[in-house]
Amino acid sequence: MTAALLDGSAEAIAEAVRTGAASARQITQQALDRVKAHNAALGAFTDVTAERALAKADAIDALRARGRSLGPLAGAPFAVKNLFDIEGLPTRAGSKINRDRPRATADATLITRLEAAGGVLVGALNMGEYAYDFTGENAHDGPSRNPHDLERMTGGSSGGSAAAVAGGLIPIALGSDTNGSIRVPSSLCGVFGLKPTYGRLSRAGAFPFVASLDHVGPLTRSVVDLTLAYDAMLGRDEADPAQAGMPAAPALPTLGEGARGLRIARLGGYFAQLADPGAVAAVDRVARALKSERVVELAGAEAARSAAYLVTMTEGAALHLERLRTRARDFDPDVRDRLIAGAMLPGAWIVQAQKYRRRFRAEALRLFRDVDILLAPATPCRAPRLGQKTFVLGRREMLVRPNLGLFTQPISFVGLPVVAAPVWAKGDELPIGVQIIAAPWREDLALRVAAALERDGVVRAPAAKLA
Amino acid sequence: MNEGAPKAFDPEALAEAMAPLLGLAQPPESRVQTIVHLRIAAGHAEKLLSIPLDDHEEPAPVFTP
Repeated sequence: MTAALLDGSAEAIAEAVRTGAASARQITQQALDRVKAHNAALGAFTDVTAERALAKADAIDALRARGRSLGPLAGAPFAVKNLFDIEGLPTRAGSKINRDRPRATADATLITRLEAAGGVLVGALNMGEYAYDFTGENAHDGPSRNPHDLERMTGGSSGGSAAAVAGGLIPIALGSDTNGSIRVPSSLCGVFGLKPTYGRLSRAGAFPFVASLDHVGPLTRSVVDLTLAYDAMLGRDEADPAQAGMPAAPALPTLGEGARGLRIARLGGYFAQLADPGAVAAVDRVARALKSERVVELAGAEAARSAAYLVTMTEGAALHLERLRTRARDFDPDVRDRLIAGAMLPGAWIVQAQKYRRRFRAEALRLFRDVDILLAPATPCRAPRLGQKTFVLGRREMLVRPNLGLFTQPISFVGLPVVAAPVWAKGDELPIGVQIIAAPWREDLALRVAAALERDGVVRAPAAKLA
Repeated sequence: MNEGAPKAFDPEALAEAMAPLLGLAQPPESRVQTIVHLRIAAGHAEKLLSIPLDDHEEPAPVFTP
């Protein structure tokens, strides 16, 4: 019974716990058992908080026994990318170096909020070092592996988050997304991922990478779960200075309104040029289902991607400069040398990039005057093989690590909210994601469209069948 | 407008000069990869710097005291 519940949604788990069909302890224990059975193959978890999880589950069951109302995620197991502070653990952020830091004395804000909604934290998840990664490979902890093909990448840097959800170990994971680190692994592992508007959800207690561009958000196997988790995490937090003072706007009340009446277009130009046939076909399929034939240009997207690339190099380098000086040998070399290069870039380039960010924002807002939703590939191709260093896009050989996010990077550069939704065409052995992009602060619209597509079977996120 | 654009950008010279100034002691293999990444960055900068921006255009970050 509980095993079947774990294959489904957090929504169904919470319903079962509320009605007494299952206890939070049974479900938590089942999730811990699954982690134990499959984590060696998936490389998803780096820490398991079993004792804490069972104590939390017992507290939920005790509340129910006393007749108290339970939250919308009651008893639903979740885990977080290991850059989120978990009280009592060093926040490793995918690195070897951070393991020497003092243990966190409090949980990150978003963990507190998910637990307040009844979620049960079961551990911390593998990630690319310091989040500077699109592959899901980690030099210290080993790679996270794609549950749909263990020899392929999860994508990164929230690779463990996507592996844990796609592998059916947990229904909800948290990730972070600076340039695509939620959307890329969501695409390659076939789960739903939400990168909210920049400044929407609190980053307090999440180890930073690029303060100008860092976002946090959930990954799930259903759109309802994505929405429940997002709604639970909304709200002002003075501890995140980048958080905008926007009112919390829960998306669940309008989730079932469908896509009718929304003006939907796909992005052409830059977003069509380097996508492989599978990525193009996925966007075609979604556009067809939404009865959208419009193609629009987001002018300057390629330059926006370049600007994001340079801001990332420089801010990342500034964050880690002292560690590069004193502990260079303890970095993943692939991360270290990009950061060192970032420390050497001329300041004028970065000021130009930040000026261009305002220009490109105006371009995006202009587009949203007569469009509500934009569609684009989440990745240029399906999951590459683990260890693969280069791929060919548009007849050009490119490095995999920096270029898996070439379609996500321009969008997060100006902080637009995006749902990455997985498409499986008939006969496909691997999924690929489509970005459903909305205007700033309109996460509700992107979620509505994703829910309509899920209802119609156009996008879906089945758990992988693990041996 | 394009003054400072990376037409004459020399990543080897930049890495050579900057590493000691930044206090970075790099093994040779790290130096080679750093130069690769500087070259990639210069390609991005070239695209970005080719876009004319007015003196009065403000950068994106807004600081509210």
